[in-house]
Amino acid sequence: MRTWLAVLLIALTSPSFAQNGGKILHITFQAAETGFDPVRVHDYYSGHVLEAVYDTLLTYDYLARPAKLVPNAAEMPEVSADGKTYTFRIKKGIAFTDDPAFKGKKRELTAQDFAYSIRRFFDPKNRSPYAFLYTGKIVGLDALGEQAKKSGKFDYDAPVAGLQTPDRYTLVIRLNESDRDLPYVLAFPVTSAVAREVIEAYGDESPSHPVGTGPFYLKRYVRSSKIELARNPGYRGKVWNFDPGDNPRFREIAERMKGKRLPAIDGVDISIMEETQSRWLAFQQGQTDWEYQLWDISPNFMTDDGKLKPEFVRRGIQLDRTVDPEIVYLYFNMQDKVGDVPNPFAGFGKEKIALRRAVMMAYNIDDHIRIIRKGQAVHAQYPIPPGVVGHDPKYVSSIPYDPAAANALLDRYGYRKGKDGFRRQPNGDALVLRYYSNPTERDRMYDELMKRGMDAIGIRMEILKDRFPELLKMEKQCRTMVKHAAWIADWPDGDNFMQLLYGPNTFESNNACYKSPEYDKRYKKSRTLPPGPERDQLYHEMTRIMETDSVWLLVDSRVRNTLQQPNVIGFTKHPVLHAEWMYIDLDPKTQY
Amino acid sequence: MLAYTLRRLWQFIPTLGGVVLLVFFVFNFVGGDPAYLLAGKIPNPETIANIRKQLGVDEPYAVQLWIFVKQILTGDFGASWSTNERVSQIFATRLGPSLTVLVPLLMISTLLGMAGAMLVAYVRGSLTDRAVMVACTVAQSVSILVYILVFQYLFAYQLGWFPVQGWGVTFMDNLLRYAVLAIVVGVAVSLAPDVRLYRTFFLDEINQDYVRTARAKGMSETRIMWVHVLRNAAIPIVTNVLLQLPGLLAGAFLIERFFGIPGIGREVILAVERSDFPIIKAVTVYVALATMVVNLAADLLYKAIDPRVQLK
Repeated sequence: MRTWLAVLLIALTSPSFAQNGGKILHITFQAAETGFDPVRVHDYYSGHVLEAVYDTLLTYDYLARPAKLVPNAAEMPEVSADGKTYTFRIKKGIAFTDDPAFKGKKRELTAQDFAYSIRRFFDPKNRSPYAFLYTGKIVGLDALGEQAKKSGKFDYDAPVAGLQTPDRYTLVIRLNESDRDLPYVLAFPVTSAVAREVIEAYGDESPSHPVGTGPFYLKRYVRSSKIELARNPGYRGKVWNFDPGDNPRFREIAERMKGKRLPAIDGVDISIMEETQSRWLAFQQGQTDWEYQLWDISPNFMTDDGKLKPEFVRRGIQLDRTVDPEIVYLYFNMQDKVGDVPNPFAGFGKEKIALRRAVMMAYNIDDHIRIIRKGQAVHAQYPIPPGVVGHDPKYVSSIPYDPAAANALLDRYGYRKGKDGFRRQPNGDALVLRYYSNPTERDRMYDELMKRGMDAIGIRMEILKDRFPELLKMEKQCRTMVKHAAWIADWPDGDNFMQLLYGPNTFESNNACYKSPEYDKRYKKSRTLPPGPERDQLYHEMTRIMETDSVWLLVDSRVRNTLQQPNVIGFTKHPVLHAEWMYIDLDPKTQY
Repeated sequence: MLAYTLRRLWQFIPTLGGVVLLVFFVFNFVGGDPAYLLAGKIPNPETIANIRKQLGVDEPYAVQLWIFVKQILTGDFGASWSTNERVSQIFATRLGPSLTVLVPLLMISTLLGMAGAMLVAYVRGSLTDRAVMVACTVAQSVSILVYILVFQYLFAYQLGWFPVQGWGVTFMDNLLRYAVLAIVVGVAVSLAPDVRLYRTFFLDEINQDYVRTARAKGMSETRIMWVHVLRNAAIPIVTNVLLQLPGLLAGAFLIERFFGIPGIGREVILAVERSDFPIIKAVTVYVALATMVVNLAADLLYKAIDPRVQLK
């Protein structure tokens, strides 16, 4: 018995629970992945693995801010004068990792692989959540998709006028209209190249058999639990050579990383840990090398002025602090009816605008950041967040927090209080704000802040709770009256945010179902302009129009605090790239 | 006994039918539309329509229900809507981790529960009995979440006796390293209610005539308790343990989430969050079937343990 106990004790107390050979980065995902077939992925975390396993045509410079496109599997494209034709030259000698689907032969990446991968978005069987990236853009491709919906079979060999491969290494994409976002789309991990043989060999199992040309390959996979990536031995390799500019932190990184062959680490060990306590304790125990998903408990390790607490500094823990390229906003549905119920908050009359503005002026964003975000967010003033092209750090929203002025505004426009203490509409009808939220702890805090604001201005508020899928459906059907929503950049260009209020995007991404001819006119024009002062001016005007109409209240953008163990070298959060694993190193000599 | 077994098996059909109807209508009317979840950030009506078509949720309800029935008959629930993994594969790979935790947990908690219950039943009415009952009431009132948070913090982080979370490759590695703390938490949570419940089973037996007769015959207290009382009290205890198992498989999600165990419970929660109906259907049907089978097995076991029991 004693011997058995001794064996058990030794087994339980053996050092480092996660030891592996080589330099292995240990990290966590906060939610389970859905798989690694690029066209089928529809969650945030799977995209990280796509980025590490596959290659896109273009990618981003690791240190340039705002993010800047650079060549990846292809050189930068040649663009025709009318902006409708993009020609990409694929780099020669890039090989897929070995797989039985290749029958023992080395398989080179070609232009055909990219053309095939783009076609896959239109195969109805793939029900790709990112088909919108190409919808209506490439000449002839939508028609092929429509044909497949009717016939039930997508013809991958049918010619597509907008997708040509004149030779093994040249891909020509012809667009219906000029689209300046296309290069960004082609740097998006879901547009990576897959090999047709692999997809056909694994069929519906393709999400668990990623075979790419990227810096890592999938070594071991236990769904929803463990993802182990190993360095791709056949990877073409890159040398760390990024310009740090004047940023002192980037200079420090460059000093330690410059000249290293990438990837510098041997693998990545990803554990799915849904619970904050598990992630926090695992990081503290040294089971993981970095952790950022700790918003709820940030006071445990951050000071009020946004610095790491001294006890962590003493342990050599490093902090990378950056604002996520996202916005959270409170929106009003602009449809006259929400479902079958008349919407007292819709309309462009002065009294309606005053009503919406009063609600916005009663929502305390400072409290929101202090209570809900634990201080780890910045007040969003502009629809385009920091790190995204088009962001204006000097812009100040014209909607202040001022409940007294909000009350005065409501009084002025005839929203009188009844005997019950709540305001009624100018025509005497009841006034009820229906606010929608999920039944989660965080959303309960949103509810309370909203309720506090509405009580301050005497507006009766009903909170309607539903599960996330149902709320999502209602939102996309314009059936939510007032709700908080969020948007994170798909690519680092202002257009990705300004499209959220474009009229024709109603029932898609325009949650407010807002239709303003003035806004739409400027948005259409902005699509034809390159990033620069002229486009920025249009974005300013569009933002003022939105504010004047009082459709959105911009709330905040979260600050991402990434804690790293002392052995991590060269990490900084990129605004768009997720898998920074490619650009960092681990110091095996550092003990912690 | 054969006639009884066949009759009970026959009763499975209407019971399972009820479960199928309930799950089907609950999912379709309050479960949320999976197409919107799968349609990504910018869904358009065409994308939604295509996804609904591919999933088959645009079919009339009668057709969808018939597909559900066929899936039960063939045992093939298709593939997960969100990951495309075969449902059979999900069960095959998640059952092992769940059982690695649950089987030792049930065994240990049952043995400890029985030992504790027998002890306090033997000294019933004493200070020890009262103190244990008060302690059990208090322990039972504490949420499982508190046990998990405290044990994980204390034993894994502060004392470093166990990993905070994780799951390895080999069975022994998992059983002796990663599952231990989860088992300890599970035992701690279930011990108090088990002791209270089993104590009543023991008290029922201690007060029986056969115990008095045994004492009158001069039999030792040890023999009375360990042979006669224990054997008779074991009948409801076995029933209770067996009935817990199916529910525990799907219900241990908190333990699995906190300790990173890739088991069935965690998968069920994921499926609910993602409106992944094939998995929800399979889990519900399997748990219902397992409950019915275990119920039947428990009744048959009753007969085997106690010949006085009549099966009707």
